[in-house]
Amino acid sequence: MNNFIEQRCKTFCYILLLFFLSQASAEELTLSNWQWHGFFSQGIVDVNGSDFVNDDGSISSELTEIGINTSLQLLPNLRFATQAVYLNGGNRYTKGARIDYLLLDWTLWNKNNWQTNLYVGRFKNIHWLYSSVRDIPFARPGIILPQSVYFDGFRDIAVGGDGAALKLSYSDDVYGDFDINYSYGTSPLSKEQGQIILSKLATGNVKQDFDSQASFYWKPIFSPWRFGLSLLDSDFSYRNAEQDFFVDGNFSFQFYTLNALYEGEQWEFSGEIYQERFVTKGFYHPFFLQDHLGQGAYLQTRYQFNEDLTLLARYEKFYSNKNDKKGKQLEIDTAGKVPSYFAFQNDFVFSLSYDFTNNFKLRLEQHWVNGGARLTPVVQPNPINNNQPYWQITALQLMMWF
Amino acid sequence: MFINNILKLWLLCFWLLLSFNAHSLDIITHPAIETTSLTTAQLRRIFSMRQLLWRSGTPIVVYVLPSKHKLHQKFTKKMLRMFPYQLDRIWNKLTYSGMGSAPIVVSNTQALVDAVMKTPGAIGYVENAKNNSKVHIINIKG
Repeated sequence: MNNFIEQRCKTFCYILLLFFLSQASAEELTLSNWQWHGFFSQGIVDVNGSDFVNDDGSISSELTEIGINTSLQLLPNLRFATQAVYLNGGNRYTKGARIDYLLLDWTLWNKNNWQTNLYVGRFKNIHWLYSSVRDIPFARPGIILPQSVYFDGFRDIAVGGDGAALKLSYSDDVYGDFDINYSYGTSPLSKEQGQIILSKLATGNVKQDFDSQASFYWKPIFSPWRFGLSLLDSDFSYRNAEQDFFVDGNFSFQFYTLNALYEGEQWEFSGEIYQERFVTKGFYHPFFLQDHLGQGAYLQTRYQFNEDLTLLARYEKFYSNKNDKKGKQLEIDTAGKVPSYFAFQNDFVFSLSYDFTNNFKLRLEQHWVNGGARLTPVVQPNPINNNQPYWQITALQLMMWF
Repeated sequence: MFINNILKLWLLCFWLLLSFNAHSLDIITHPAIETTSLTTAQLRRIFSMRQLLWRSGTPIVVYVLPSKHKLHQKFTKKMLRMFPYQLDRIWNKLTYSGMGSAPIVVSNTQALVDAVMKTPGAIGYVENAKNNSKVHIINIKG
Protein backbone atom coordinates (compact mmCIF):
# COMPACT_ATOMS: atom_id res chain seq x y z
CA MET A 1 0.00 0.00 0.00
CA ASN A 2 2.83 2.36 0.94
CA ASN A 3 4.57 1.55 -2.33
CA PHE A 4 1.35 2.31 -4.20
CA ILE A 5 1.01 5.72 -2.53
CA GLU A 6 4.69 6.44 -3.11
CA GLN A 7 4.41 5.59 -6.80
CA ARG A 8 1.36 7.85 -7.12
CA CYS A 9 3.19 10.71 -5.33
CA LYS A 10 6.17 10.22 -7.61
CA THR A 11 3.97 10.24 -10.69
CA PHE A 12 2.24 13.38 -9.48
CA CYS A 13 5.60 15.09 -8.95
CA TYR A 14 6.72 14.06 -12.44
CA ILE A 15 3.55 15.40 -14.04
CA LEU A 16 3.66 18.64 -12.08
CA LEU A 17 7.25 19.26 -12.94
CA LEU A 18 6.89 18.34 -16.59
CA PHE A 19 3.93 20.68 -16.74
CA PHE A 20 6.06 23.54 -15.47
CA LEU A 21 8.95 22.67 -17.74
CA SER A 22 6.81 22.45 -20.83
CA GLN A 23 4.33 25.23 -20.22
CA ALA A 24 6.39 27.99 -18.75
CA SER A 25 9.93 29.24 -18.68
CA ALA A 26 11.45 30.60 -15.48
CA GLU A 27 11.01 34.07 -16.96
CA GLU A 28 7.28 33.64 -17.21
CA LEU A 29 7.05 32.16 -13.72
CA THR A 30 9.09 34.89 -12.12
CA LEU A 31 7.93 38.17 -10.75
CA SER A 32 10.33 40.51 -9.00
CA ASN A 33 9.11 39.38 -5.56
CA TRP A 34 7.95 35.84 -6.32
CA GLN A 35 10.08 33.14 -7.89
CA TRP A 36 9.56 29.51 -8.85
CA HIS A 37 12.34 27.11 -9.70
CA GLY A 38 12.70 23.38 -10.02
CA PHE A 39 14.75 20.50 -11.29
CA PHE A 40 14.27 16.99 -12.56
CA SER A 41 16.85 14.30 -13.03
CA GLN A 42 16.90 10.60 -13.73
CA GLY A 43 19.86 8.33 -14.07
CA ILE A 44 21.00 4.76 -14.15
CA VAL A 45 23.66 3.38 -11.85
CA ASP A 46 25.59 0.13 -11.85
CA VAL A 47 27.55 -0.88 -8.75
CA ASN A 48 29.82 -3.90 -8.90
CA GLY A 49 31.03 -5.39 -5.63
CA SER A 50 29.00 -3.61 -2.94
CA ASP A 51 25.45 -2.85 -1.83
CA PHE A 52 25.99 0.92 -2.11
CA VAL A 53 22.81 1.26 -4.21
CA ASN A 54 21.08 -2.14 -4.16
CA ASP A 55 21.57 -5.60 -2.65
CA ASP A 56 21.58 -7.67 -5.85
CA GLY A 57 24.15 -5.65 -7.82
CA SER A 58 21.90 -5.22 -10.87
CA ILE A 59 21.81 -2.05 -13.00
CA SER A 60 19.45 0.28 -11.20
CA SER A 61 17.31 3.30 -12.03
CA GLU A 62 17.37 4.32 -8.36
CA LEU A 63 18.92 7.65 -9.22
CA THR A 64 15.99 10.04 -9.22
CA GLU A 65 16.06 13.60 -7.92
CA ILE A 66 13.12 15.95 -8.37
CA GLY A 67 12.55 19.27 -6.68
CA ILE A 68 10.40 22.35 -6.82
CA ASN A 69 10.80 25.52 -4.79
CA THR A 70 9.33 28.94 -4.32
CA SER A 71 10.49 32.18 -2.76
CA LEU A 72 8.09 34.96 -1.86
CA GLN A 73 9.16 38.37 -0.58
CA LEU A 74 6.42 39.12 1.96
CA LEU A 75 7.85 42.40 3.26
CA PRO A 76 11.03 44.34 2.39
CA ASN A 77 12.82 42.49 5.20
CA LEU A 78 10.83 39.24 5.34
CA ARG A 79 10.87 36.40 2.81
CA PHE A 80 9.24 32.98 2.75
CA ALA A 81 10.96 30.09 0.96
CA THR A 82 10.26 26.39 0.65
CA GLN A 83 11.40 23.42 -1.43
CA ALA A 84 9.94 19.93 -1.76
CA VAL A 85 12.03 17.12 -3.17
CA TYR A 86 11.58 13.51 -4.17
CA LEU A 87 14.76 11.44 -3.89
CA ASN A 88 15.52 7.84 -4.69
CA GLY A 89 19.11 6.70 -4.26
CA GLY A 90 18.47 3.05 -3.39
CA ASN A 91 20.33 2.00 -0.24
CA ARG A 92 22.13 5.34 -0.05
CA TYR A 93 19.34 7.07 1.91
CA THR A 94 15.62 6.80 2.59
CA LYS A 95 13.69 7.20 -0.63
CA GLY A 96 10.58 9.35 -0.87
CA ALA A 97 9.23 12.88 -0.91
CA ARG A 98 10.22 15.36 1.80
CA ILE A 99 10.22 19.04 2.65
CA ASP A 100 13.79 20.05 1.99
CA TYR A 101 13.47 23.49 3.53
CA LEU A 102 10.63 25.68 4.73
CA LEU A 103 11.72 28.91 6.32
CA LEU A 104 11.19 32.55 7.04
CA ASP A 105 14.16 34.70 6.11
CA TRP A 106 14.30 37.85 8.25
CA THR A 107 16.81 40.47 7.10
CA LEU A 108 18.09 41.95 10.36
CA TRP A 109 20.65 44.34 8.90
CA ASN A 110 21.15 45.37 5.31
CA LYS A 111 23.64 48.04 4.28
CA ASN A 112 25.95 48.43 1.30
CA ASN A 113 28.67 46.14 2.67
CA TRP A 114 26.77 44.29 5.38
CA GLN A 115 23.98 41.78 5.27
CA THR A 116 22.66 39.82 8.26
CA ASN A 117 19.85 37.29 7.91
CA LEU A 118 18.08 35.08 10.41
CA TYR A 119 16.42 31.94 9.02
CA VAL A 120 13.76 30.25 11.14
CA GLY A 121 12.12 26.93 10.30
CA ARG A 122 13.64 24.03 8.36
CA PHE A 123 16.92 25.28 6.90
CA LYS A 124 19.63 23.69 4.77
CA ASN A 125 23.19 23.06 5.87
CA ILE A 126 25.23 25.88 4.32
CA HIS A 127 28.45 25.15 6.19
CA TRP A 128 30.42 22.80 3.94
CA LEU A 129 31.67 23.47 0.44
CA TYR A 130 28.82 21.64 -1.34
CA SER A 131 26.36 20.90 1.51
CA SER A 132 23.67 23.32 0.35
CA VAL A 133 23.57 21.82 -3.16
CA ARG A 134 24.13 18.14 -2.31
CA ASP A 135 20.66 17.21 -3.64
CA ILE A 136 20.78 19.52 -6.65
CA PRO A 137 22.25 17.35 -9.42
CA PHE A 138 23.27 20.10 -11.85
CA ALA A 139 24.72 22.38 -9.14
CA ARG A 140 26.95 19.86 -7.38
CA PRO A 141 30.23 18.76 -8.95
CA GLY A 142 29.35 15.09 -9.57
CA ILE A 143 26.63 12.46 -9.47
CA ILE A 144 27.99 11.09 -6.19
CA LEU A 145 29.76 13.53 -3.91
CA PRO A 146 32.90 12.67 -1.90
CA GLN A 147 31.56 10.24 0.68
CA SER A 148 34.15 11.12 3.31
CA VAL A 149 32.45 14.49 3.88
CA TYR A 150 29.07 14.09 2.13
CA PHE A 151 28.33 10.58 3.37
CA ASP A 152 24.93 9.58 1.97
CA GLY A 153 24.20 7.46 5.05
CA PHE A 154 24.19 10.65 7.13
CA ARG A 155 22.37 12.69 4.46
CA ASP A 156 19.10 13.07 6.35
CA ILE A 157 20.93 14.31 9.45
CA ALA A 158 23.48 16.45 7.64
CA VAL A 159 21.27 18.08 5.01
CA GLY A 160 19.81 20.66 7.40
CA GLY A 161 17.70 20.94 10.50
CA ASP A 162 14.64 22.34 12.21
CA GLY A 163 15.61 25.41 14.22
CA ALA A 164 17.35 28.64 13.31
CA ALA A 165 20.34 29.77 11.27
CA LEU A 166 22.17 33.08 11.20
CA LYS A 167 24.18 34.37 8.24
CA LEU A 168 26.41 37.42 8.39
CA SER A 169 28.02 38.65 5.16
CA TYR A 170 30.53 41.47 4.92
CA SER A 171 32.12 42.71 1.69
CA ASP A 172 35.27 44.77 2.06
CA ASP A 173 36.62 46.73 -0.93
CA VAL A 174 40.19 45.87 0.03
CA TYR A 175 40.11 42.48 1.79
CA GLY A 176 37.20 40.80 -0.03
CA ASP A 177 34.10 38.89 1.03
CA PHE A 178 33.58 37.39 4.49
CA ASP A 179 30.72 35.06 5.52
CA ILE A 180 30.01 33.82 9.03
CA ASN A 181 27.24 31.24 9.50
CA TYR A 182 25.77 29.62 12.59
CA SER A 183 22.90 27.17 12.93
CA TYR A 184 21.22 25.26 15.74
CA GLY A 185 18.53 22.65 15.34
CA THR A 186 17.61 19.00 15.11
CA SER A 187 16.74 16.65 12.26
CA PRO A 188 13.75 14.33 12.55
CA LEU A 189 14.82 10.71 11.98
CA SER A 190 12.52 7.90 10.95
CA LYS A 191 13.01 4.27 12.04
CA GLU A 192 14.28 3.47 8.53
CA GLN A 193 16.83 6.29 8.69
CA GLY A 194 17.95 5.03 12.10
CA GLN A 195 18.46 1.56 10.63
CA ILE A 196 20.49 2.96 7.72
CA ILE A 197 22.89 4.55 10.21
CA LEU A 198 22.93 1.88 12.93
CA SER A 199 21.84 -1.56 11.85
CA LYS A 200 18.85 -3.32 10.32
CA LEU A 201 18.57 -5.17 13.64
CA ALA A 202 18.05 -1.90 15.57
CA THR A 203 14.28 -1.86 16.17
CA GLY A 204 14.29 1.01 18.69
CA ASN A 205 14.12 4.76 18.12
CA VAL A 206 17.06 7.00 17.31
CA LYS A 207 16.74 10.72 17.96
CA GLN A 208 19.00 13.66 17.29
CA ASP A 209 19.22 15.67 20.51
CA PHE A 210 20.86 18.75 18.94
CA ASP A 211 23.05 19.89 16.07
CA SER A 212 25.15 23.02 16.42
CA GLN A 213 27.23 24.20 13.45
CA ALA A 214 29.35 27.20 12.55
CA SER A 215 31.38 28.13 9.48
CA PHE A 216 33.56 30.93 8.18
CA TYR A 217 34.41 31.74 4.55
CA TRP A 218 36.78 34.27 3.04
CA LYS A 219 37.20 35.21 -0.61
CA PRO A 220 39.95 37.80 -1.20
CA ILE A 221 38.87 40.66 -3.46
CA PHE A 222 38.98 39.79 -7.19
CA SER A 223 40.75 36.54 -6.31
CA PRO A 224 39.99 33.11 -7.81
CA TRP A 225 40.49 31.58 -4.34
CA ARG A 226 38.03 30.99 -1.55
CA PHE A 227 38.82 29.50 1.85
CA GLY A 228 36.54 28.09 4.53
CA LEU A 229 36.30 26.18 7.76
CA SER A 230 33.37 24.55 9.53
CA LEU A 231 32.69 23.08 12.97
CA LEU A 232 29.88 20.71 13.98
CA ASP A 233 28.79 19.30 17.32
CA SER A 234 25.85 16.92 17.58
CA ASP A 235 24.42 14.31 19.97
CA PHE A 236 22.10 11.37 19.26
CA SER A 237 20.34 8.94 21.56
CA TYR A 238 19.00 5.44 20.98
CA ARG A 239 16.14 3.95 23.02
CA ASN A 240 15.77 0.25 22.46
CA ALA A 241 12.50 -1.53 21.72
CA GLU A 242 11.06 -4.36 23.81
CA GLN A 243 12.39 -6.98 21.39
CA ASP A 244 15.75 -5.52 20.45
CA PHE A 245 19.23 -6.81 19.74
CA PHE A 246 20.70 -3.59 21.20
CA VAL A 247 20.44 -1.67 24.49
CA ASP A 248 19.97 2.08 25.08
CA GLY A 249 22.88 4.16 23.81
CA ASN A 250 24.18 7.68 23.25
CA PHE A 251 26.29 8.89 20.35
CA SER A 252 28.30 12.06 20.19
CA PHE A 253 29.60 13.38 16.89
CA GLN A 254 32.01 16.25 16.18
CA PHE A 255 33.09 17.18 12.68
CA TYR A 256 35.63 19.80 11.55
CA THR A 257 36.47 20.73 7.95
CA LEU A 258 38.89 23.04 6.18
CA ASN A 259 38.29 23.76 2.51
CA ALA A 260 39.78 25.69 -0.39
CA LEU A 261 38.43 26.45 -3.85
CA TYR A 262 40.22 27.88 -6.90
CA GLU A 263 38.04 29.00 -9.80
CA GLY A 264 39.93 29.78 -12.99
CA GLU A 265 38.56 30.25 -16.49
CA GLN A 266 39.26 26.64 -17.50
CA TRP A 267 40.77 24.98 -14.45
CA GLU A 268 39.18 24.59 -11.08
CA PHE A 269 40.63 23.00 -7.96
CA SER A 270 38.83 22.25 -4.73
CA GLY A 271 39.47 20.19 -1.67
CA GLU A 272 38.31 19.57 1.86
CA ILE A 273 40.15 17.97 4.73
CA TYR A 274 38.29 16.93 7.79
CA GLN A 275 38.35 15.15 11.11
CA GLU A 276 35.41 13.57 12.93
CA ARG A 277 35.10 12.30 16.48
CA PHE A 278 32.51 9.61 17.06
CA VAL A 279 31.83 8.56 20.66
CA THR A 280 29.55 5.58 21.38
CA LYS A 281 28.26 4.97 24.91
CA GLY A 282 26.14 1.87 25.47
CA PHE A 283 24.18 0.51 22.49
CA TYR A 284 26.11 -2.82 22.27
CA HIS A 285 25.97 -3.38 26.04
CA PRO A 286 25.32 -0.96 28.93
CA PHE A 287 29.01 -0.34 29.69
CA PHE A 288 30.30 -0.10 26.13
CA LEU A 289 32.47 2.96 25.40
CA GLN A 290 34.22 3.75 22.13
CA ASP A 291 35.92 7.00 21.12
CA HIS A 292 37.20 7.14 17.53
CA LEU A 293 38.82 9.90 15.49
CA GLY A 294 38.19 9.52 11.78
CA GLN A 295 39.99 11.56 9.11
CA GLY A 296 39.50 12.20 5.44
CA ALA A 297 40.37 14.44 2.53
CA TYR A 298 39.69 14.83 -1.14
CA LEU A 299 41.24 16.83 -3.95
CA GLN A 300 39.19 17.56 -7.02
CA THR A 301 39.95 19.24 -10.31
CA ARG A 302 37.65 20.27 -13.11
CA TYR A 303 38.67 21.29 -16.60
CA GLN A 304 36.39 23.22 -18.91
CA PHE A 305 37.27 21.60 -22.22
CA ASN A 306 34.96 23.93 -24.12
CA GLU A 307 31.79 25.88 -23.43
CA ASP A 308 29.74 22.69 -23.06
CA LEU A 309 32.07 19.89 -22.01
CA THR A 310 33.59 19.63 -18.52
CA LEU A 311 35.92 16.93 -17.24
CA LEU A 312 36.36 16.11 -13.55
CA ALA A 313 38.85 14.01 -11.62
CA ARG A 314 38.90 13.44 -7.86
CA TYR A 315 40.86 11.39 -5.37
CA GLU A 316 39.53 10.81 -1.89
CA LYS A 317 40.89 9.08 1.18
CA PHE A 318 39.05 8.26 4.41
CA TYR A 319 39.57 6.12 7.49
CA SER A 320 37.15 5.87 10.40
CA ASN A 321 39.79 5.46 13.11
CA LYS A 322 43.11 7.25 12.74
CA ASN A 323 44.74 4.76 15.11
CA ASP A 324 43.62 1.83 12.97
CA LYS A 325 43.98 3.03 9.39
CA LYS A 326 44.26 -0.47 7.92
CA GLY A 327 41.51 -1.99 10.07
CA LYS A 328 43.59 -4.71 11.76
CA GLN A 329 42.25 -3.79 15.21
CA LEU A 330 38.68 -3.64 13.88
CA GLU A 331 39.00 -7.20 12.63
CA ILE A 332 40.44 -8.39 15.97
CA ASP A 333 37.80 -6.55 18.05
CA THR A 334 34.97 -8.13 16.05
CA ALA A 335 36.55 -11.61 16.05
CA GLY A 336 36.88 -11.43 12.28
CA LYS A 337 33.18 -10.73 11.68
CA VAL A 338 33.95 -7.26 10.26
CA PRO A 339 36.82 -7.40 7.71
CA SER A 340 39.63 -4.86 7.93
CA TYR A 341 38.55 -2.99 4.77
CA PHE A 342 35.52 -1.58 6.63
CA ALA A 343 37.98 0.75 8.41
CA PHE A 344 38.80 2.84 5.32
CA GLN A 345 37.47 3.96 1.95
CA ASN A 346 39.47 5.42 -0.93
CA ASP A 347 37.88 6.53 -4.17
CA PHE A 348 39.16 7.70 -7.54
CA VAL A 349 36.56 9.37 -9.74
CA PHE A 350 36.47 10.47 -13.36
CA SER A 351 33.48 12.28 -14.80
CA LEU A 352 32.27 13.98 -17.99
CA SER A 353 29.49 16.59 -18.12
CA TYR A 354 27.90 17.94 -21.26
CA ASP A 355 25.59 20.98 -21.33
CA PHE A 356 23.11 20.69 -24.20
CA THR A 357 21.49 24.03 -23.32
CA ASN A 358 21.42 26.49 -20.41
CA ASN A 359 19.13 24.10 -18.50
CA PHE A 360 19.83 20.62 -19.77
CA LYS A 361 22.87 18.53 -18.82
CA LEU A 362 24.15 14.96 -19.14
CA ARG A 363 26.78 13.51 -16.80
CA LEU A 364 28.71 10.25 -16.92
CA GLU A 365 30.75 9.18 -13.91
CA GLN A 366 33.03 6.28 -12.98
CA HIS A 367 34.28 5.46 -9.45
CA TRP A 368 36.99 3.01 -8.48
CA VAL A 369 36.60 2.37 -4.74
CA ASN A 370 38.75 0.51 -2.23
CA GLY A 371 37.19 -0.10 1.20
CA GLY A 372 33.78 -0.07 2.84
CA ALA A 373 33.91 2.51 5.65
CA ARG A 374 31.23 4.63 3.95
CA LEU A 375 28.75 1.84 3.27
CA THR A 376 25.57 1.57 5.29
CA PRO A 377 24.78 0.56 7.98
CA VAL A 378 27.71 2.28 9.66
CA VAL A 379 27.63 1.07 13.24
CA GLN A 380 26.90 -2.58 12.35
CA PRO A 381 28.43 -3.12 8.85
CA ASN A 382 27.18 -5.75 6.44
CA PRO A 383 30.13 -7.94 5.30
CA ILE A 384 27.82 -10.46 3.59
CA ASN A 385 26.73 -8.05 0.83
CA ASN A 386 30.11 -6.32 0.84
CA ASN A 387 32.51 -9.21 0.77
CA GLN A 388 35.34 -7.59 -1.19
CA PRO A 389 37.42 -4.44 -0.68
CA TYR A 390 37.41 -3.28 -4.33
CA TRP A 391 34.20 -2.15 -5.99
CA GLN A 392 33.13 0.21 -8.79
CA ILE A 393 30.28 2.59 -9.61
CA THR A 394 29.24 3.60 -13.13
CA ALA A 395 26.50 6.20 -13.34
CA LEU A 396 24.78 8.21 -16.04
CA GLN A 397 22.42 11.06 -15.15
CA LEU A 398 20.29 13.37 -17.26
CA MET A 399 19.16 16.57 -15.60
CA MET A 400 17.04 19.59 -16.44
CA TRP A 401 16.05 22.62 -14.41
CA PHE A 402 14.28 25.95 -14.59
CA MET B 1 53.81 58.32 -49.17
CA PHE B 2 54.49 59.03 -45.48
CA ILE B 3 51.37 61.21 -45.21
CA ASN B 4 49.34 58.48 -46.93
CA ASN B 5 50.46 55.94 -44.33
CA ILE B 6 49.70 58.31 -41.46
CA LEU B 7 46.25 58.93 -42.93
CA LYS B 8 45.61 55.18 -43.26
CA LEU B 9 46.75 54.61 -39.69
CA TRP B 10 44.51 57.39 -38.44
CA LEU B 11 41.54 55.98 -40.37
CA LEU B 12 42.25 52.54 -38.94
CA CYS B 13 42.35 53.94 -35.39
CA PHE B 14 39.13 55.86 -36.01
CA TRP B 15 37.45 52.71 -37.38
CA LEU B 16 38.63 50.70 -34.36
CA LEU B 17 37.32 53.40 -32.04
CA LEU B 18 33.96 53.36 -33.79
CA SER B 19 33.88 49.56 -33.65
CA PHE B 20 34.63 49.65 -29.94
CA ASN B 21 31.91 52.21 -29.32
CA ALA B 22 29.50 50.24 -31.48
CA HIS B 23 29.81 47.34 -29.01
CA SER B 24 30.10 49.26 -25.75
CA LEU B 25 28.55 47.55 -22.78
CA ASP B 26 26.49 49.69 -20.45
CA ILE B 27 24.96 49.17 -17.03
CA ILE B 28 21.40 50.41 -17.00
CA THR B 29 18.89 50.97 -14.20
CA HIS B 30 15.31 52.01 -13.74
CA PRO B 31 15.04 55.75 -14.52
CA ALA B 32 14.13 56.59 -10.89
CA ILE B 33 17.49 55.36 -9.55
CA GLU B 34 19.59 58.35 -8.51
CA THR B 35 22.94 56.56 -8.35
CA THR B 36 25.15 57.73 -11.21
CA SER B 37 28.27 55.63 -10.67
CA LEU B 38 29.40 52.38 -9.06
CA THR B 39 32.78 50.76 -8.53
CA THR B 40 33.50 47.32 -10.03
CA ALA B 41 33.46 45.90 -6.48
CA GLN B 42 29.99 47.37 -5.88
CA LEU B 43 28.72 46.06 -9.21
CA ARG B 44 30.06 42.64 -8.34
CA ARG B 45 28.32 42.76 -4.95
CA ILE B 46 25.02 43.62 -6.63
CA PHE B 47 25.19 40.82 -9.22
CA SER B 48 26.37 38.27 -6.65
CA MET B 49 23.39 39.26 -4.49
CA ARG B 50 25.54 40.52 -1.62
CA GLN B 51 24.11 44.04 -1.86
CA LEU B 52 20.31 44.08 -1.99
CA LEU B 53 19.47 47.78 -1.54
CA TRP B 54 20.31 50.98 -3.36
CA ARG B 55 21.73 53.81 -1.25
CA SER B 56 18.20 55.28 -1.12
CA GLY B 57 16.87 52.08 0.47
CA THR B 58 15.06 50.88 -2.66
CA PRO B 59 15.39 47.08 -3.13
CA ILE B 60 17.62 46.14 -6.08
CA VAL B 61 16.04 43.88 -8.71
CA VAL B 62 18.70 42.25 -10.88
CA TYR B 63 17.94 41.21 -14.47
CA VAL B 64 20.34 39.05 -16.48
CA LEU B 65 20.50 37.13 -19.75
CA PRO B 66 20.96 33.32 -19.87
CA SER B 67 24.45 32.24 -18.87
CA LYS B 68 25.39 31.02 -22.38
CA HIS B 69 24.31 34.32 -23.98
CA LYS B 70 27.34 36.06 -25.51
CA LEU B 71 26.45 39.40 -23.95
CA HIS B 72 26.13 37.85 -20.50
CA GLN B 73 29.52 36.21 -20.91
CA LYS B 74 31.08 39.49 -22.04
CA PHE B 75 29.47 41.38 -19.16
CA THR B 76 30.59 38.83 -16.57
CA LYS B 77 34.19 38.75 -17.74
CA LYS B 78 34.72 42.44 -18.61
CA MET B 79 32.57 44.24 -16.07
CA LEU B 80 32.59 41.89 -13.08
CA ARG B 81 35.97 40.22 -13.74
CA MET B 82 34.33 36.85 -13.07
CA PHE B 83 33.37 33.82 -15.13
CA PRO B 84 29.70 33.03 -15.89
CA TYR B 85 29.88 29.68 -14.11
CA GLN B 86 30.91 31.43 -10.87
CA LEU B 87 27.77 33.57 -10.94
CA ASP B 88 25.65 30.50 -11.79
CA ARG B 89 27.02 28.74 -8.71
CA ILE B 90 26.30 31.64 -6.39
CA TRP B 91 22.76 31.97 -7.74
CA ASN B 92 22.06 28.22 -7.70
CA LYS B 93 23.24 28.03 -4.12
CA LEU B 94 20.87 30.83 -3.10
CA THR B 95 17.93 29.52 -5.12
CA TYR B 96 18.07 25.86 -4.15
CA SER B 97 19.08 26.27 -0.51
CA GLY B 98 16.40 28.85 0.26
CA MET B 99 19.02 31.27 1.57
CA GLY B 100 18.22 33.99 -0.95
CA SER B 101 16.82 34.90 -4.33
CA ALA B 102 18.65 34.78 -7.63
CA PRO B 103 18.50 37.41 -10.39
CA ILE B 104 15.66 37.18 -12.87
CA VAL B 105 16.74 35.62 -16.17
CA VAL B 106 15.17 37.03 -19.33
CA SER B 107 15.61 35.52 -22.76
CA ASN B 108 16.85 38.48 -24.85
CA THR B 109 18.22 41.99 -24.60
CA GLN B 110 14.97 43.73 -25.56
CA ALA B 111 13.14 41.87 -22.78
CA LEU B 112 15.89 42.89 -20.38
CA VAL B 113 15.64 46.58 -21.31
CA ASP B 114 11.84 46.47 -21.05
CA ALA B 115 12.00 44.78 -17.63
CA VAL B 116 14.54 47.29 -16.30
CA MET B 117 12.45 50.20 -17.56
CA LYS B 118 9.28 48.86 -15.90
CA THR B 119 10.61 47.58 -12.57
CA PRO B 120 11.45 50.04 -9.78
CA GLY B 121 14.97 49.41 -8.46
CA ALA B 122 15.95 47.29 -11.48
CA ILE B 123 19.46 46.94 -12.86
CA GLY B 124 20.73 45.17 -15.97
CA TYR B 125 23.19 45.49 -18.83
CA VAL B 126 22.91 46.12 -22.52
CA GLU B 127 25.00 47.14 -25.52
CA ASN B 128 24.79 50.69 -26.82
CA ALA B 129 22.44 52.03 -24.17
CA LYS B 130 23.50 55.56 -25.17
CA ASN B 131 21.24 55.19 -28.21
CA ASN B 132 18.27 54.76 -25.89
CA SER B 133 17.41 58.03 -24.21
CA LYS B 134 14.87 56.42 -21.87
CA VAL B 135 17.32 54.31 -19.84
CA HIS B 136 19.48 55.50 -16.98
CA ILE B 137 23.14 54.59 -17.49
CA ILE B 138 25.48 53.94 -14.57
CA ASN B 139 29.12 54.91 -14.89
CA ILE B 140 31.52 52.18 -13.70
CA LYS B 141 34.72 53.30 -12.00
CA GLY B 142 37.77 51.23 -11.13
